[in-house]
Amino acid sequence: MSYSDPMAKAVPAPRHKRFWNQVKTFTSKPYNIILLLLGVILTISTVAPIVAIVHDTFQIHPGTIDAHLTGRTSGYTVVNYVDLFTSKLARANLWMPMLNTLYLSIGSCLVAVVFGGMFAFFITRTNLAWRKYLSSIFIFPYIMPQWTLAVVWRNLFDSRAVTRTANGLLATLFGTQMPMWWCRGMFPSMMVLGLHYAPFAYILIGGILRNMDSNLEEAAMILDTPRWKMITRISLPMIKPAILSTILLVFGSSMGSYPVPHYLNLTTLATKYVSLNSRFTGQASILAIIMMIFGIVIMGMNIMSTKSRKSYTTVTGKSGQISRQNLGRVGKYAIALVLVILTFFTSIFPIISFAFETFLPNPGDYSFLYTGNLDNLTTKWWATSENITENGMYGQKGILYNETIWRAFKGTIVVALACSLLAGTIGTLIGYAVAKQRRSPWANYVNSVAFLPYLMPSIAVGAAFFILFSNERINLFNTYTLLIIVGTVKYIPFASRSALNSMLQLSGEIEEAAIIQDVPWIKRMSRIIIPIQKSAIISGYLLPFMTCLRELSLFMLLCVQGFILSTTLDYFDEMGLYAFSSGINLLLVVTLLIVNGLINKVTGASLDKGIGG
Amino acid sequence: MKKSLSFLLSICLVLSLVLAAASPVFAKEDSEVAKIIAEAQGMTLEELAKKAIEESNGAMFYGVGNSSRGKTALPLFIDYLKTIDPDYNMEFEWQQPKNNKIFDQLTADSLKETGTFAMTLIQDGNQIQSKMVEPGILDTFVPMEWAEQNDVKAEDVKFLPLQTLNKVFMFNNTGDKTYKNVWDFVAEGEHGLYMDIDSEIVGKNFLYMLTEDKYAGWLHEAFDKLDDEQKAYFEPVIEEMQTDAEDLGLGEDGAYALAWIKLWVESYSEQTDDGPICNILVDKSATDQFGLLVYSKLRSVEESDSVSVKNIEVAAYQDDFEGIGGYGYCHYLFVTDNSPLPWTACAFIAYMTCTEDGFSAWGKDMGGYSSNPDVAEKIEETYQHAKGGYVDDESVFEAKNDRGYEWWTEEGKLVLEDPEYCSSVAFTVGSWIELLTKYTE
Repeated sequence: MSYSDPMAKAVPAPRHKRFWNQVKTFTSKPYNIILLLLGVILTISTVAPIVAIVHDTFQIHPGTIDAHLTGRTSGYTVVNYVDLFTSKLARANLWMPMLNTLYLSIGSCLVAVVFGGMFAFFITRTNLAWRKYLSSIFIFPYIMPQWTLAVVWRNLFDSRAVTRTANGLLATLFGTQMPMWWCRGMFPSMMVLGLHYAPFAYILIGGILRNMDSNLEEAAMILDTPRWKMITRISLPMIKPAILSTILLVFGSSMGSYPVPHYLNLTTLATKYVSLNSRFTGQASILAIIMMIFGIVIMGMNIMSTKSRKSYTTVTGKSGQISRQNLGRVGKYAIALVLVILTFFTSIFPIISFAFETFLPNPGDYSFLYTGNLDNLTTKWWATSENITENGMYGQKGILYNETIWRAFKGTIVVALACSLLAGTIGTLIGYAVAKQRRSPWANYVNSVAFLPYLMPSIAVGAAFFILFSNERINLFNTYTLLIIVGTVKYIPFASRSALNSMLQLSGEIEEAAIIQDVPWIKRMSRIIIPIQKSAIISGYLLPFMTCLRELSLFMLLCVQGFILSTTLDYFDEMGLYAFSSGINLLLVVTLLIVNGLINKVTGASLDKGIGG
Repeated sequence: MKKSLSFLLSICLVLSLVLAAASPVFAKEDSEVAKIIAEAQGMTLEELAKKAIEESNGAMFYGVGNSSRGKTALPLFIDYLKTIDPDYNMEFEWQQPKNNKIFDQLTADSLKETGTFAMTLIQDGNQIQSKMVEPGILDTFVPMEWAEQNDVKAEDVKFLPLQTLNKVFMFNNTGDKTYKNVWDFVAEGEHGLYMDIDSEIVGKNFLYMLTEDKYAGWLHEAFDKLDDEQKAYFEPVIEEMQTDAEDLGLGEDGAYALAWIKLWVESYSEQTDDGPICNILVDKSATDQFGLLVYSKLRSVEESDSVSVKNIEVAAYQDDFEGIGGYGYCHYLFVTDNSPLPWTACAFIAYMTCTEDGFSAWGKDMGGYSSNPDVAEKIEETYQHAKGGYVDDESVFEAKNDRGYEWWTEEGKLVLEDPEYCSSVAFTVGSWIELLTKYTE
C-alpha cells in the first residue's frame, strides 16, 4: 500500500496481531493496569462480605427467632424476611429505626456541611484572626472517638430530674435542667455526629476553597454581579464535588454509627442491628442489607450529579491567585472569638474534662470542686502498680502500669499504620486512574466498588468479615491480620475520594506536557502529580490512620477488648471506669498530635493541609 | 454505572443462594471430648491433674469467658500443677469478649476440627441452652468432688455453675424515701437505673423468670401487702394483663408478673453497665434514686466527701421489705466439644470448683457465691464477707455486710435463673416484652 494511493484497499492486520496491539496499547497506560487489577481485587473484597450477609439472612441460627418459627436448628428459610416485614414487631424492629436513621444521617450531614463549610470559608477566604490556631483545633472532634463527644454532652446536660442520672455540669453549677429532647435522642445524636464529622467538610471544602483561583470571582465582581449570585453561580458549583463527597462520607458514617446513638438513646438501624443480633440474628443481617441499599442509593445520586460534562478544574498550572475577603477590623476578631468559644466546647473542654476525670477518686466525683478539699483528688488511676480491687480499681493497674492498655496501644499503632499505608496507596492510585479515565464505565465501576464498603455499616462489615474468616480453614478472629484487611477495605474510600477530588482539579495538560517530554510514569507521579496535590494525598493517608486509631464499630466484632485501644476504651466507658477511658482518650489525642506534627515537619503537609495558613 | 452495580448485587444474591442451597447439614455424633469427659467425671482432681500435666506441658492454653478473672485463676492452677510436677509449665491466654460476642466466637471456633479454646466460663443460661448446648458446641463436665459435695449425680447436672452472682435492688438513702415493697420500684414516677435489657441479656432473663409460677406467686404475695391506695394504682394494669397472660400460657399469677414487667420496662432508665449505676447511686446527690445492679460493685467504691457506701441501702436488708430482693444468675463452666486440651480443661474446671485457691480469684470479693458448699464455707471463713462493712469491729458500711447465698435465696427472695425456662419463653414472653415501649424510646 502506498501512501500516495489513498484509494488503495486497506489490508486488515491478522486478528491475533490486532488483539496483541490492543493489549499493548491498553497496558502502555499505567492507569489501565491499575484499574484492571484493583477492579478485580476490590470486587472480591466487596462481594465476599455482601454474600456473607445475604447468606446469613437465609440461614437458620440455633436459639434465635428463625429456629423458633421454623422448628428447626439448621438449614435455610425465608422466615426472617417474612417476620421482619410483617410481624407485630415490624414497627419497632424495622420502620422506626429506619426512619430515625434517615433523619439522623440527613441531620448530621446538614450540621457537618454548614458548620464545617462555613468554618472552611472563614479560614480560607477571609482575613479572620487566629486562623492557624482555629484550623488546628477544629479537627480535634474528629481525632477523638465519636462517642466521647456524646459522653461530654451527657456530662454537660444530664440532670437527675430529667434524665434520672447524676447531675451534669450545668445542673450542678447553675441548676439548669435541659429538656429530655435536648439530652437524649435525635437532636443530641445529630449534633454530636455533625460536630464530629464537620472536620470532613472543613478538610474537603477547605482544600478546594484554598486552591480556588479568585480570578473568576473578581471578574464577576467587576461585572457588578450580586454577592448571592457569585456564591450560587461560582463558588458553590466549584466546591460541589467536595460538598457531595462530604455528604457521602457523613451520610455513610452516620448511618452506620453505633456508639453515638447508643450513648444518647436513639434507636437506629445500627443500634437495632446490635440489639437484635442475639435473638433475631438473620433479621439483623437484613437490617444491614437495608443500610447498604441506602448507601448505594446515595452513591447512585452522587454518580448522577457528577456524571455531567461540567468541569471542576480549579488547578490549571496557569496563573492563579487567592484574595481574602476583609471582615473588617472588629469583625475579624469578633467572628474569631465566637469560633474560639465554639471550638473550646467541642475540642478543648472534652480534653480538660478527660484530664480531670483521671484524677477523681470515683467516676464523676467532683467533690473537690465544691469542698475545695484536694484530698478528694487522687493519682491512683495513673500510679497504682499492683492488681487491687479495694479502692475502685476493679482489679486494674494504673494507666502507667497497665499492660492491657499499653498492649492495646501497640496493637492500635500497628493496625493504623498498616491500614493507612495500604488504604492510602490503593486509594490514591484509584483516584488517579479514575480521574484519568473519567468517562470509562469500568473506571466508574472501580470507583464505585472501592467506595461501596464505606457505605456499608461498619458493624455489618465487621460481622461479615467475622463470618468469612471464621471457618474450618481460616480462623483470623482476634488477629491483627484480620483487622488490617478489614480496615484497608473500609478505608480505601477516604484516600480514593480525597485523591479523586484533587485529581479532578488537576488539568490534564500538566501531565501531558511531561508525557510529550517522555517522562516515565513513576517520575510523573513522584515529581509532578503527587507534589502538586501533596496535601490531599497525605490526607488520604492520614484519614485512615486517624480513623483507625479510634475505630470501634468496625472492629468491635473482630477482636476482644484489650486487643486495640478503641475496644479497650469502650470497655472502660461502658463499665463506668471513665478515668481509664479518659486516659486512653488523652493518649489518642497526644498520639495524633505528634503524628500530625511530625508529618507537618517532614512533608510540610498536615491533616488540615495547612488550610489555616 | 447503575448496570454495573445491579450486576454486582445480582452476583452477591446468586452466590448467596447457591451457598445456601449447597451447604449440607450434619448430624453430630458423640465426640472424642465427650468420651474424655465421661471418663474424667470418675476421676479425682489429683488424677485429672496428672492427665493435664501429660497433655499440656509446654502447650498453649486458650480460655474464653465473661469474667476477666479466669486470667487470675489460670496462674494459680499452673502453680498447683507444679506442686505435682515441678517441671510443668504452660502458656495461656484468657479472652474476655464483651456482651454477646462470646457466643459468636464459640460458634465460629466450633466449626474447626480442633478448636482454639479449651474451655469457657459463660453466663446467660438461656442462650447457652439454645445456642451452645443443644447444637453440641459445649459439653458439661462435672468434677467428682463437686458432685459429692453437692450430693448429686453427674448425669443429673446439665450445667456446671462456678458461682452465682446477684443483682439486687439498692437505693440512695440520703433522702426520706424508702422502698419497702418490690411494687414500689414500679410505682408512678419511679425510674430505676438498670442495664439495657437488649445489651445484657441476663437482664431480660430476669424478666422471663418473673413469669415462672413461683416468682409470679411472690409478686402476687407482695402485691397483697400493699395498702388500698397503692393497689388501686396497679390493679387496672394487672386486669389489663389477664388476657395476655392466658395467651402466653402463664400460670394463675402470670398477670401480676406481666404487669410488673410492663411497668418496669416502661419506666427504667437504661444504663450501659452496673458500674455507672453504682457510681450514680453512691453519690449523695442521688437522693431518692434506686437501681437493680450487681451487688459486688459496692466493693469498688472509694469514700470521698461526696461518695460513700453509707449513702446506699440494700432494699432486701430492711426488716420490713416485702417481695423480691433481686436476681441471681450463674457463671457456668464448659469444655468445648472440640477442645484441644480436654484433660487440662477438666482439671482446671475441677480446680476452680473444688478448691478454695481455685475459687479465690472470685471469692476474695463480695457478691459471688461458689456453687460448691464446701468451698463457699472456706471462702467465708477466710474473707469474712458477712462483715465486709466492718471497720475496727464496728459495722460502718451496712450495705457491704453480705448475708450470703443461703440468706439471699431464702430471706432475700432472690429470683434464680433457670436456663431451660428462659429458653422456653424467650420467643413468647420475650416477643411480648419487645412490643413494650421503653421509657427512653
